[in-house]
Amino acid sequence: MDLLAGLIQTAILAGGVLALAALGEVLAERVGVVNLGVEGLIALGAITGIATVVAVPSPTLGLILAMLVGLLAGMVFATATVIIRANQILCGLALTLMGTGVAAMVGKAYSGIPAPVTFAPIAIPFLSDLPLVGRALFTQNVLVYVIYLVLPFALHHLLFRTRHGLDLRAVGENPAAADAAGIPVTRIRFWYVSAGAALAAGAGAYLTLAFVPSWSEGVVAGRGWIAVALVIFAGYRPWTAVGAALLFGLITSLGFVGQARNWPIAAPVLSMLPYLGTIALMIVPVLAWQKVRRLMAAPAALGEPYFRDVR
Amino acid sequence: MSIRIQRVPSENMAGGLAARLIAIVLALSIAAIVFAMSGADLGKLGAHVFKSTFGSRFGLMDLGLIVTPLILTGLAVTVAMKVGAWNIGAEGQFCAGAIAATAVALFVPGPTILVLPLMFVAGAIGGMLWILIPTLARAYADVSELITTLLLNFVGALFIYYLATGPWLDPSGLSFAATKRLPHDVPGFWGDVHWGLPIAVLLTVALAGVLNYTRWGYEVRIAGSNPAAARYAAIPFRRHLIVVMLMSGAIAGLAGMFEVIGTTHRLQGGISNNFGYIGIMVAVLARGSAIGVIAGAALMAVILKSGIALQTQGVNISTVLALTGLILFFTAIGDELSHYRIVRSKPA
Repeated sequence: MDLLAGLIQTAILAGGVLALAALGEVLAERVGVVNLGVEGLIALGAITGIATVVAVPSPTLGLILAMLVGLLAGMVFATATVIIRANQILCGLALTLMGTGVAAMVGKAYSGIPAPVTFAPIAIPFLSDLPLVGRALFTQNVLVYVIYLVLPFALHHLLFRTRHGLDLRAVGENPAAADAAGIPVTRIRFWYVSAGAALAAGAGAYLTLAFVPSWSEGVVAGRGWIAVALVIFAGYRPWTAVGAALLFGLITSLGFVGQARNWPIAAPVLSMLPYLGTIALMIVPVLAWQKVRRLMAAPAALGEPYFRDVR
Repeated sequence: MSIRIQRVPSENMAGGLAARLIAIVLALSIAAIVFAMSGADLGKLGAHVFKSTFGSRFGLMDLGLIVTPLILTGLAVTVAMKVGAWNIGAEGQFCAGAIAATAVALFVPGPTILVLPLMFVAGAIGGMLWILIPTLARAYADVSELITTLLLNFVGALFIYYLATGPWLDPSGLSFAATKRLPHDVPGFWGDVHWGLPIAVLLTVALAGVLNYTRWGYEVRIAGSNPAAARYAAIPFRRHLIVVMLMSGAIAGLAGMFEVIGTTHRLQGGISNNFGYIGIMVAVLARGSAIGVIAGAALMAVILKSGIALQTQGVNISTVLALTGLILFFTAIGDELSHYRIVRSKPA
């Protein structure tokens, strides 16, 4: 039973990175922009987080600065893809390369230093004493609750329960119609893509301040790409994305537990699990449930720049 | 007379080339400014870069070695783009090709003249197998090949790491994370530069010919640029997609094969050296022209080699990755801007 509790605890902790990055990507893709720079944004956030706490021992400040860096990078990306309307895939790949490269350059000085302060787990009284899962669910750091409960609730409410959410989904489905209805397409796209990038960078700070918690080159290890895959898998819905992130966290934690318990499988092979699992989860549901496809469909104008004068 | 700026659907050729030139100059200038701000002596760095690339025989040989995998990965990405697919997994297929070629080198006895062709075939098949699942998933379930091919990059790197530190570790105990020196070499072509380079160039020219001057190539290009039109013209889109994507994987696999047999002579972690990712940059610079791949690869080889040379001057090799990203970013913007033209018209 200890095994199960440990598995769930690690799954929740590991899934948090993916969940936060995926929520950011949901925002960008709902307004019709594919941001493939998530991997680079996580790297930027991760190094900003660690560099901040090494200078000033405040994880909260680290998170805030990381998100600011993400917001700035997101605004650069949005300027290129939304205002200039350059190819989103290329700009996203470029952002990934730049973010990964710059983070590695800056990170040289911080490599291997454990974060002096982190978001420490807090045991919630009574609940954490529950048998079996109490410790796993209720002895987590504060960000876990924000990522798994507060943010998806807020985003779901925003997207599906407010007038503004309707507007921004319209921008992602049919920008021409939205434009005709007086919705500011460019402005909405610009700010939601930037906000999504801030969340992705926040996921990076979570990685180095709550999960690992230190910086090393390659610490991001494809989590940004898994997050992008997960958004598709989750049908662009906040709650589903968070649930899927938990599932992926479980796959990751299986690898950790296997290593810790000396399963007769080599460590690098166990490390392949999240990637192989992601690929399987991208393919299987499409084959298994043809009917779900329409329900989980991408926003109709996803990836397409909007030109008012060209129809 | 009024002047308007107008967007046209097709980008203009000269504009596209100018955009690339400006993108590269801009990205390099930004890098130079960053170096200068961090207190580096730009003149000294520049002289060092020149000496270690064009300025010496060894520099030129190194360029020849680096450009070989870049031509092949760039070609792999370009070929996939022709049919409208994003093969972002050249890195992983490179690993698979290297693994397959190493397996043949380690376990198939025989004279080099016989084993070498076998390694060539193994490298191609390795790369092909690595892209097989993403290909079928795209063709039959419309799963984004961009993400599946990319995720397999991480698996490929881990697989090499597993083999090189585990079952295939050099039994002599001399190396920590590599196989033993492989018993066969690709013959030399010019000094250290092996025959992989001319073969890569020939393959590029041949593929450019096939894509531009055969019926099959024409169908592939139509299928890539407009799948709906292709279907209407009874062009078998799915079949072309599968064949071309597998071809793309095979080409990237060859890059890995040449790297391990011709350049490193051992399978070791980090062998792929971001060649797959830089291959995307090569393909974008080449604007879909297979011949352009050679020029793009040459340029990226100079940048990569400069980065390696600058490591001795305290410059981090990750700078190359960041710089590649910067060039890609500016090129993407430039490509879009080259769709615009200035129109003079008389007021109505």
